Amino acid sequence: MAQQKTDNDIFDLLETDINKGFRLVVERYSTRLYWHIRRLVILHEDADDALQNTFVNAWRNISEFRSESSLYTWLYAIATNEALTLINKRTRNSAISLDDLGSWFANSIEGSTWFDSDEAQIKLQNAIIQLPEKQRIVFNLKYYDDMTYEDMSKVLKTSVGALKASFHHAVKKIEKLLSGI
Amino acid sequence: MKNSDKIPEGNPFKVPENYFEELNDRIISSTIENQYGNKKQRLYFRLRSFLAIAASVAVMAILSYTGIKLFTPRNDSISLSGIPVEVYSGTLLNEIDLLTLEENADLTGMQGLGPNIDKKDIIDYLLLENIDINEIQEQL
Repeated sequence: MAQQKTDNDIFDLLETDINKGFRLVVERYSTRLYWHIRRLVILHEDADDALQNTFVNAWRNISEFRSESSLYTWLYAIATNEALTLINKRTRNSAISLDDLGSWFANSIEGSTWFDSDEAQIKLQNAIIQLPEKQRIVFNLKYYDDMTYEDMSKVLKTSVGALKASFHHAVKKIEKLLSGI
Repeated sequence: MKNSDKIPEGNPFKVPENYFEELNDRIISSTIENQYGNKKQRLYFRLRSFLAIAASVAVMAILSYTGIKLFTPRNDSISLSGIPVEVYSGTLLNEIDLLTLEENADLTGMQGLGPNIDKKDIIDYLLLENIDINEIQEQL
């Protein structure tokens, strides 16, 4: 609700001056969406590409966007889809299987300038990347973005109950992986 | 929301220097500032069907005009140079034969047809009946 209230000023501006309104959208959401995408795709270059695509898609469809929907969940949905498209492409091109994700992650961050080499964080991110794709998104949106289950339900087109259960199980799995069991 | 004490906090991911400072400008240049190119493209795609129809009509008009000019017979005298002999000889010979026929036809056997019947009228009548001129000549 708070997010919707905040976005009302954007809706008004989009009605009167679409260019100015979209600039405000970019200013308000670019950083947030970048981190959401980055946590999914891991690599900075991939995140940058997916983020650009997100806003290009949003711009193309902004005139059809209706204020009764939530701009926040709409943008997150586009960003999530762009990230998943990129991940699927990467998986196809590199023939990475689920079992290889851990190795792929370790290879990607090893010596990378764009990753803090703190051991605890490496273990955590390695654990997250081994979650099933949708569960990983749920975990990230709840743990890092503090998104409500109601908003998450709009982003992922999944029921609130299923999302709550998914997050609960994700936390348990990660704790287990971190404790080395 | 941090539901677990066992999960470390913090953000391990880093970005290049000034990345976020330049990010918004790059997004704007690939979206809002790119809209004029897209507008042109949209206009082209909207008009494409009309342009195709207009082009088809123009081609048909040109072909029709060309066809009419080529196949409409001319009033001026036709030069025989370049036209094969077989094409015009039949026509000229028919005309010559008609003149010869009119001059030489012997219609004495047709006196029973009535007085004052012109030789030419008979020949014309026979030609209208699609009787071959050579056959007329043989008979008359």
